[in-house]
Amino acid sequence: MKRSGWQWLAASSLLIGAIAAGGETRPRYGGTLRIEMSAAPASLDPAEGNVPDSFGRRNITALIFDTLVKFDDAARPEPVLADSWQAAGQELRLHLRRDVKFHDGSAMTPESVAASLRLENPAWKVTAEPESVSIQNDLAEDGLLAELALPRNAIVKRDSGKLNGTGPFRIVDWKAGERLSLAADENCWRGRPFLDAIEIEMGKSYRDQMTALQLGRADLVEIAAGQVRHTDQRSMASSKPIELIALWFAKGPSSPEENALRSTLSLSVDRTAIRDVLLQGTGETAGSILPNWMSGYGFVFSAKADLVRARQLRGQISPAPSWKIGYSPDDPLDRLLAERIALNARDAGLFLQTTSTPSADLRIAHLPLESGPWSSLGQIADQIGAPLAKEHGSLEELYAAERTVLASGRIIPLLQLPVSYAAFAGLQNWAVRPDATLNLENAWMESGAQ
Amino acid sequence: MFGRLFLAVLGLAIGAHATDWSVPEQELAQKVVALTGKAPISLSFENRSSLRRRDAEIIENGLRGSLAAMGPRVVENDASAITVAISLSENVTSYVWVAQVQRTGSEMAVAMVQIPRGAGVSSTRESVPLTLRKSLLWSQAEPILDVAVLEENARLAVLSPERVSVYRIRGGGSQLETSAQISHPRAWPRDLRGRILATKDHLLDVYLPGVVCHSSAIGTFSLNCQQESVAWPLMIAGPGAAGPGSQAMVGAYFEPSRNFFTGVETAPGGWLKIVPQFYSAALISRDKDVVWLFAAVDGRVHMVEGTMDRLTNLKWGSDFTAIRTSCGAGWQVLATSPAESATDSVRAYEIPERDPVPVSEAVDFSGPISALWTEARGDSAVAVMKNTETGNYEAFRLAVACGQ
Repeated sequence: MKRSGWQWLAASSLLIGAIAAGGETRPRYGGTLRIEMSAAPASLDPAEGNVPDSFGRRNITALIFDTLVKFDDAARPEPVLADSWQAAGQELRLHLRRDVKFHDGSAMTPESVAASLRLENPAWKVTAEPESVSIQNDLAEDGLLAELALPRNAIVKRDSGKLNGTGPFRIVDWKAGERLSLAADENCWRGRPFLDAIEIEMGKSYRDQMTALQLGRADLVEIAAGQVRHTDQRSMASSKPIELIALWFAKGPSSPEENALRSTLSLSVDRTAIRDVLLQGTGETAGSILPNWMSGYGFVFSAKADLVRARQLRGQISPAPSWKIGYSPDDPLDRLLAERIALNARDAGLFLQTTSTPSADLRIAHLPLESGPWSSLGQIADQIGAPLAKEHGSLEELYAAERTVLASGRIIPLLQLPVSYAAFAGLQNWAVRPDATLNLENAWMESGAQ
Repeated sequence: MFGRLFLAVLGLAIGAHATDWSVPEQELAQKVVALTGKAPISLSFENRSSLRRRDAEIIENGLRGSLAAMGPRVVENDASAITVAISLSENVTSYVWVAQVQRTGSEMAVAMVQIPRGAGVSSTRESVPLTLRKSLLWSQAEPILDVAVLEENARLAVLSPERVSVYRIRGGGSQLETSAQISHPRAWPRDLRGRILATKDHLLDVYLPGVVCHSSAIGTFSLNCQQESVAWPLMIAGPGAAGPGSQAMVGAYFEPSRNFFTGVETAPGGWLKIVPQFYSAALISRDKDVVWLFAAVDGRVHMVEGTMDRLTNLKWGSDFTAIRTSCGAGWQVLATSPAESATDSVRAYEIPERDPVPVSEAVDFSGPISALWTEARGDSAVAVMKNTETGNYEAFRLAVACGQ
């Protein structure tokens, strides 16, 4: 197998192994895991572009579907449904693992894999060969492998609206945006998972999730960034900072003066106070899109407030602008953030009016990053409509690309937050992947835990 | 011999840790000079990485030397000088050294170099050599399910999920003698377990969930694997059966799609015993009776004496086994600890009366133990763990020494 030197991403996965009450250390088969999450995806199809990206959606995808490759904790590509690959020019040929079946019992074939990839990437030329698929596009090998590892490129057999994957759990019941029932796939190519079933309740607020965990109605929940410090650390796991909180402008600046005003706003925001007070110290202040653990140079983009410089810049431009800053009415933290930013801006001579309506000049955005720097930057650039000259390259090219995205004036990074989960003590061997999704493949529940 | 082999590997790792930073130092210095020319510079350093202070000082001195050799004069307290702030940072895979170059009245320029992080120095935790002793048999990156010593200090067989490999040990090194694939029609269950035992009439037998393999008796090494349910050998059956090379073992049936035994046991003589489903078992033969211990799938340790099944409050892990020795009461249970961290330990116990009592200090392992089986000879056990520091799988022999 040819292994690429694609070297990025990923904090070490945090493995949870709480103290086994009865001394049981070998995984136990059985049990139903009850999960609650805030996301409420309207579709389970990983390729459905109209469903917003979220960590909850990624979690569901990983339970039902597999990708052709993935990246390990040291950012090296690993085989999943493809057991080897070879690049030649602009073509990547991936040899498929044998004896893999979809949840409906049908065999995974090169044709079914090619059909899945074509639907997900209409611009790619995907060809089914006797035991492999070949992909032609303008990405280099490293970049294409990184693309193939993304959840949206999971291999799906779509059959009259029914979705079949090859992951450890199969769909039993699905009520869009509300609940999902999954059962262990007895014939999973990696072996049947330890858990018998997973029940997922969606669209739950963080507060409701924590209550459900405390009352024993849920076994695994998400934790709001501001609540991390108040949660029992023994039953909690967090990723490295991988969710970007940023100010996202609806339009690009119409003039150099407006761009300078946006810089003024960035200089006026006291990110440290926001983190320490509103988020109880969780996360990192950010002047960059990519967190420092991912790029190594994030500190170069200053996140410090500089009111003197902000006022100086503001003084050079008149008249004073009036912007509406939007926040999600469903997220109490967003409103507090918007109000604090408006206060900071006022100190620099900028006037921001807060609103929960969609018609805002800029808004508080929660942007999930991917596990690699190029894919993260590409995704953010796509979302905000900023140019990205390259999709892969050296560290210096990454830095230059990030500077260009920031210079577009469409985004002002504020904070980078970890994604945190809490579980009841009887859930063993669960982990948080480098992309902040849950790894429940080898999770198991202690006997008598429920 | 194995100990020497292991120490040699460790020595190499330590030797490799003395990193030569001169190439990236010169590379960054060149990039800085390309931005500053030969104008005077004011230099500052900050270590934002996990590099130790000593390493950071070495790098700082190296960078100063490289810059000085390339022309710019390093000055202090000169407002007209170009400021160069060098940060030693890092990302997941590499050290990242960043130089922020600021000329008065100009936009800041940035230069950086990336240095892939080398493998860290592995270290091992010393066991406490009291009664229970561990010695490394084998280490490899691929998962190990079990190891069988075929000839003492000379030859061993390693069972991995997809193959059996036989190694010849010579002069502190090892050489692959032969290997054979294991054929299995179904995917292996998670938490895969397996057993390999040397035999007298042919080289070895392999037991895996729903599959049993016998090696060829003569000629080229091969494995004949059948999909069938046969009892896995667990431990020496009784006092009369113990001894070097003895194959008279108690066996139990393994659930083909899970990680536990069904609860049906067999013993020499053909009798069957029905017990709770269990992960591991130990048999202790005493003067008047026999005591069975089971790490049952209900998470408890069951103690079975005759027909009485008693639940204990023992805080053991899911893996234990029994060995017969010439020490103490003659039979010891070796038990893993309940998991609470990434490390593990094994301790020896005896059962003089009602409850087990520890008879050795715990021997520490730098990773969770995934297998603990009594060896064919009956007086020692093989423990397999995944070393959380190196990521390698390691198989150890555990033996009890008297009078310690």
